[in-house]
Amino acid sequence: MTLVGSDGPAPPALAPAPVASVVDLRVHFRSKAGIVHAVDGVSFDIADGETLGLVGETGCGKSVTARSFLRLVPMPPGIQAGGSILFRPHRTCETCSGNGCAVCHESGRVPDACATCEGAGCETCAGSGYLTVDLLEIPEQDLRTIRGNRIAMIFQDPGKALNPALSIRDQLAEVFYQHRSAELLAAAAIDGEAGGPAGTLIRRKAALRSRLLEDALLSLPPLRARRNKLRAAADDRIVAALAETQIPNPRKVMDRYPHELSGGMRQRVMIAQALACDPDLLIADEPTTALDVTVQARILELVRELQSRHRTSVLYISHDLSLVRRVCDRVAVMYAGRIAEVAPAEQIFSDPSHPYTRGLLAAIPATSHERGRLVAISGTVPELINPTPACRFAGRCPFEAPVCRALEPEPKPTRDGHQVACFIHHPPRDAADGVPTFDRQVR
Amino acid sequence: MQIRDYIIRRLMVLPLLVVGVSIIVFALTRIGGSPIGIYLSHEMSQEEVAELEERFHLDDPVPVQYFYWASGVLRGDLGWSGVAAAPVTDVFLPKLAATMELAVSSAIVAVVLGIALGTFAGARRNRLPDHLTRVFSISGAAMPLFWFAILLLIVFWVYLGWFPIGRSDPDLWARIDHPTNLYTVDSLIAGDFGAFRDAVWHLTLPAVTLGYGATAIIARMMRSSLVEELQEDYVDAARAKGLPERLVLRRHARRNALIPTVTVIGLSFGFLLQGSVVAEIIFQWPGLGRWMADSVLRGDQATIMAYVLFTSVLFLVVNLAVDVAYAYLDRRVVLGE
Amino acid sequence: MRRVGELIGALLKNPTTVAGLTFIILLLGMAILAPLLTEPNTPDAYQMPRDWGAIAVPPGSPGHILGTTNVGGDVLYGVIWGARTSLRLSVIVVSLTVVVGVTVGSIAGFRGGRIDEILMRIVDVFLSIPELIFALAIAAVLGPSFRNIILALAVVFWVKYARIMRAQIIHVKENEYVDAARVIGDSPWRIYLKDVLPNSITPVVVQATLDMGNIVLVGATLSFIGLSEAGIAEWGVLVSEGQAGISAGRWWASTFPGLMVFLWALGFNLFGDGLRDILDPRTESSR
Repeated sequence: MTLVGSDGPAPPALAPAPVASVVDLRVHFRSKAGIVHAVDGVSFDIADGETLGLVGETGCGKSVTARSFLRLVPMPPGIQAGGSILFRPHRTCETCSGNGCAVCHESGRVPDACATCEGAGCETCAGSGYLTVDLLEIPEQDLRTIRGNRIAMIFQDPGKALNPALSIRDQLAEVFYQHRSAELLAAAAIDGEAGGPAGTLIRRKAALRSRLLEDALLSLPPLRARRNKLRAAADDRIVAALAETQIPNPRKVMDRYPHELSGGMRQRVMIAQALACDPDLLIADEPTTALDVTVQARILELVRELQSRHRTSVLYISHDLSLVRRVCDRVAVMYAGRIAEVAPAEQIFSDPSHPYTRGLLAAIPATSHERGRLVAISGTVPELINPTPACRFAGRCPFEAPVCRALEPEPKPTRDGHQVACFIHHPPRDAADGVPTFDRQVR
Repeated sequence: MQIRDYIIRRLMVLPLLVVGVSIIVFALTRIGGSPIGIYLSHEMSQEEVAELEERFHLDDPVPVQYFYWASGVLRGDLGWSGVAAAPVTDVFLPKLAATMELAVSSAIVAVVLGIALGTFAGARRNRLPDHLTRVFSISGAAMPLFWFAILLLIVFWVYLGWFPIGRSDPDLWARIDHPTNLYTVDSLIAGDFGAFRDAVWHLTLPAVTLGYGATAIIARMMRSSLVEELQEDYVDAARAKGLPERLVLRRHARRNALIPTVTVIGLSFGFLLQGSVVAEIIFQWPGLGRWMADSVLRGDQATIMAYVLFTSVLFLVVNLAVDVAYAYLDRRVVLGE
Repeated sequence: MRRVGELIGALLKNPTTVAGLTFIILLLGMAILAPLLTEPNTPDAYQMPRDWGAIAVPPGSPGHILGTTNVGGDVLYGVIWGARTSLRLSVIVVSLTVVVGVTVGSIAGFRGGRIDEILMRIVDVFLSIPELIFALAIAAVLGPSFRNIILALAVVFWVKYARIMRAQIIHVKENEYVDAARVIGDSPWRIYLKDVLPNSITPVVVQATLDMGNIVLVGATLSFIGLSEAGIAEWGVLVSEGQAGISAGRWWASTFPGLMVFLWALGFNLFGDGLRDILDPRTESSR
């Protein structure tokens, strides 16, 4: 079964649905001291074409959330304790064959319709009418057609995320062979359907299935020409992908090994690799943290530019609020395994609602309040081992009330597009059973 | 440092080490006093002995004697072997061929099996195959080769009768020419399939025995470096690309895990050389090792000197080759950041 | 001392070290209690007793639970007194090599300069000759006897300690507390004993543990080849004695003593490996 590019019925005009929805995600870890609730009931949507920032301190669960999209959290020690990540894969727009037109809102991609209800909206597609898969449930085989193809990931340290023993060409070629095998064969003018041992061999080569002996056979004269054509087709795509990330001299660079490149160049290679198959969703896990400050700005710029050109949705993980402000449309703030606040980027800065967000902002040296005092949030992040139902920020919060220790606040909308998990904004309804209500005056 | 500079530096140290080894070897044989003994017989007169001493320069000071011996070695004169009743040089090559046939077969067994086992275990960390491999490899380091060989003989030769001892069936051996003295190769050159079968049949048991220790060492190193590599970011990155687990392991993790394993392969070659002495005694293999063992028991000093010198030089060269291979494979180390 | 308590706790928690320790204790117990477990042979208890009335009898025969060899040696006696022989061998060789190696390594590491250069070149040459072959050659030149095996092993095995010790000392010397001691005005000898040695000794202890096993392994191999006196109660000699009988199906005379060598080496290897993991967390991944 292929989830991607299947010829489902053309979707009727549907209301836009988020490209991905995280629903009550819970990822725990087994440790000697007990079960660590690293991610404990996280929900958010990523709208089509938007950049969502996921912000929080080290250990708040943002990276685990991001890795869960591709099921990269090692289990054990990790435990999938519940929730789902719904993803709506797209395919190339037929009207413009990927060049961008009015039908696909210039993105070159259109979502697939739900196979069960043909776009009418049913249970399997959560009412959206689009083909929807739960990334945590689908078989490994199907997940592989999404990884690197529909959802790609950029890692924190490109020096570690690139294989030191393989050339840049080898590493990028893998992506094309894995996901674009048929197209490569077509581009190389090789009959992909050809029978006989020669056809099988080259097909296996193009799909990364060839073994050592087969590779040896392919390097011998009768088959060699075909293999070289296939290679040339792959090379063209690699060069194009590298050129798009503004790497100078891509034909030379692709023969290099990662350690021969600078940090910034390596991250460009990572980005080229991630965008190689024009994914619907790009997950960027602190992509600039390991880089020099001067390089950071340029990489950030590049991500933003490519995002707008490809209209790819981006989940941008960072611990740096000021950085997120420059690239993101919306921001989700995470604290101790839960979402504290979600809001459009500007609102987070102009009108932060959660006390934790405010604390974070006060800790940023900003040009707007020059020479102002930087305020650290007092206290430490709570242990996430077998937590009791209570606000995770209780104990560090300057506005704490007794209710914060007794109940767990859920993120609820305050106004347009703004969600906050705090009793200041959502006082618990039934104060009758003895839980004291929040003193509204502190606001 | 560039690879070439590194190789040149190592190559310059090599002769110094060889000279050092030759001094030790020479000094060893002089601990027991003058080696005149093997040339003497009871009916010799005082004059005849003195004449012999002069002929072999045994009346000169020891350092001078060393130079006579060393220049002889350089000319290919390794002395007279009492055990073989022939000049050492004459017997050396055929016996070396026999030992090499055994050692190289064992090395192939050890490298292939060791890497396969290590990969298998490392990819299944802390599961049953991993624990079994660990037992296998720890046992390998503690296994007395002479005992292991005898156990295999008891089972496969005495009780099951599946494998023979010795190097060949004499009739089949006599049937073909021996240009290389490697039985397997010679039989293939002669196109004699029966002889080839015989060669492999005789080779299997000693090669497996001798290879066990080396297999264990290689499997262990492979396993631990694979476990380490599997925790690297690039492995997750390869998964994130959509590669199937088989390719993540084969193209990514294993490739890097092989690099440190190469160094152990060199070390285990020393293991094989030493082990060949014991394996050749037990399996009655007519190689250098068995010759050395006989020489040791019968005080054949020329053979002992030649053997120690030769194995040390071989050991040094193999280790040099391995270090160079390592420097070449691990691009990060040599060319640096 | 708290550290010792912690160390023992860690050792007992690790199944590998516990297994190793079990083998070691059983074998050492056998070695120490040998005179109680069997009637010592006279005049020399390390010499195999010969029962000419029961030649090559299989295991389970009356008076010979593990059978006898081709020349009437009781296999059980050899197994038990062989443990004592092995203990003697390994303790003597390990103490000799540790003392020599640590001294040479300390001098080289602490003095540095020319002395270091010369000593380390000698060490390099020694390491160029494969261990077993070197020991074999030395024992051969000295003549076949168990005492010469001890001597040969001592000559071969000291170099590793010299190398470990030198590397450790150079490493420790760079640490600030040695500078601090120097500033206080301690004498070099005092600095060595108080600061350098205690901080360098860990890898030496680990290597010594592993060598307790390795030396018996190599020693038994030399005996098997025929470099000890015939007829002594030593495992390698017994395996060699039993080898003649295997074609006639007499498996026991080689099997039991060889198993002892294996268990001895296995015990110290398991324990040494565990010890290294606990004492030196840097190499933990080797497990």
